[in-house]
Amino acid sequence: MLHRRQVLTLAAAAAAFTALPGVARVALAQAGSDRAVTFVKTTGDKLVGVVNGPGSAAEKRQALTQIIDQAVDVDGVGRFCLGRFWRTATPDQQKRYLALFHQVLVTSITAKLGEYQGVRFTISRSRSQDEDELVSTVVERPNNPPTNVDWVIANPNNAPKIIDVIAEGTSLRLTQRSDYASFLAHNNSSVDALISAMQQQIASAG
Amino acid sequence: MRAVFPSLNPLPRMWHQLAVAGLLALSLAACATPPPADDPDAVADFKATNDPLEPTNRVFYAVNNGLDTVILRPAAQAYRFVVPGKVREGIHNMLSNLGTPVQLSNDMLEGKPRRAGDTTMRFLINTTVGVLGIFDVAKEWGYPNHDSDFGMTLASWGVPEGPFLFLPVLGPSDPRDAVGFGVDIVQDPFTWVGQGAAVTALGWSKFALSAVDARERVLDSLDQIKKTALDPYATFRSLYRQHRHAQIEALRNDNRATIPVWFPQQAGPTGNGP
Repeated sequence: MLHRRQVLTLAAAAAAFTALPGVARVALAQAGSDRAVTFVKTTGDKLVGVVNGPGSAAEKRQALTQIIDQAVDVDGVGRFCLGRFWRTATPDQQKRYLALFHQVLVTSITAKLGEYQGVRFTISRSRSQDEDELVSTVVERPNNPPTNVDWVIANPNNAPKIIDVIAEGTSLRLTQRSDYASFLAHNNSSVDALISAMQQQIASAG
Repeated sequence: MRAVFPSLNPLPRMWHQLAVAGLLALSLAACATPPPADDPDAVADFKATNDPLEPTNRVFYAVNNGLDTVILRPAAQAYRFVVPGKVREGIHNMLSNLGTPVQLSNDMLEGKPRRAGDTTMRFLINTTVGVLGIFDVAKEWGYPNHDSDFGMTLASWGVPEGPFLFLPVLGPSDPRDAVGFGVDIVQDPFTWVGQGAAVTALGWSKFALSAVDARERVLDSLDQIKKTALDPYATFRSLYRQHRHAQIEALRNDNRATIPVWFPQQAGPTGNGP
């Protein structure tokens, strides 16, 4: 009798053990998903708080830059957007490019949220995509139809960072990358030309 | 059968003019010079961009951009300024409701019964309870809207999109979507109903209102893109394709079963049939 119970316990333990990695993976994915949602919620609340809050345009931009630098993997996105030209760029060019890219990204993300008061966002759901977590939100801006915006979060479990913003199926970093690629194709693949064009762009948008 | 393309009907006439413009475009077509073969990365980029008519496309982009700056954008701004948001929303819903016959036809051609059901319910509910489509009641009742056009239908049949095209007046497209645009006009019952001055006037009003409505909805986004893109043409090209791919992806992934939840479910998998 005892012997039989031992066998059963052993079998149950073995079953639990073999099932464990699967269970753990599901649990981990669930935790990652929850963390990603919380992360998007906190970051989104911060961004919307600044956009809807008081202060001049310059002050708001300053505050938004801080939040975006914390929440977004700006250097990673910047390298992605330069594509194959990142490898051919000199270290100095890379440095100047990334510094400008920080400002470009602030402008792009602010544009997605709207630059005027009255922005609202609601989180609808979250799902895993490869190693990343995709958190879907609906952004409502005054005067504009509601937009579906997905936030792609890398490393949801340890150090969550936003690596892409997908508005109505259009990825911010893919679009930016094709913009730069086309510019470079028409300017003899000169990274310096790209850098000065970015400078002008920021100065005129400023 | 009625005479094909009755002369008083506005859309076929416009289509005819477009066809002439298209022929003109073909005769003017200049091809992009491929990069030298000893630069494989550049060649790969060129192929990925898939825009062999780029120089011609850019000309039409410039023309459209000019027309937009002097006609459509000011009209959309005036529309936003004069008409309150709630009313604009109602007009948008009404126009969208008038598009349901084409939408339904494409849902069926795509073999998506649940989408066809959604479209039918949307039309029935919004036309009656929603007062001629002004209020999107169906959305609240669990029949959300979705995109459906013949370009997407062709995509679901496996037709490739082909190279990028920038068409006069119509804007970013590709051969598949250009064909889809024409077929949707033919599929639309409103192309074929009635004749006479009133119908013509209504047809043109609907066309103009649709254009202004569509433009108003993207006023801020387009301004932003033109302000921030280094190469707006390339940016619009990328955005157009990504947006179409997302619509087609959503269509492909919509495989909801046709058996209602309250119906006794069969054992085994319940697909939505062939």
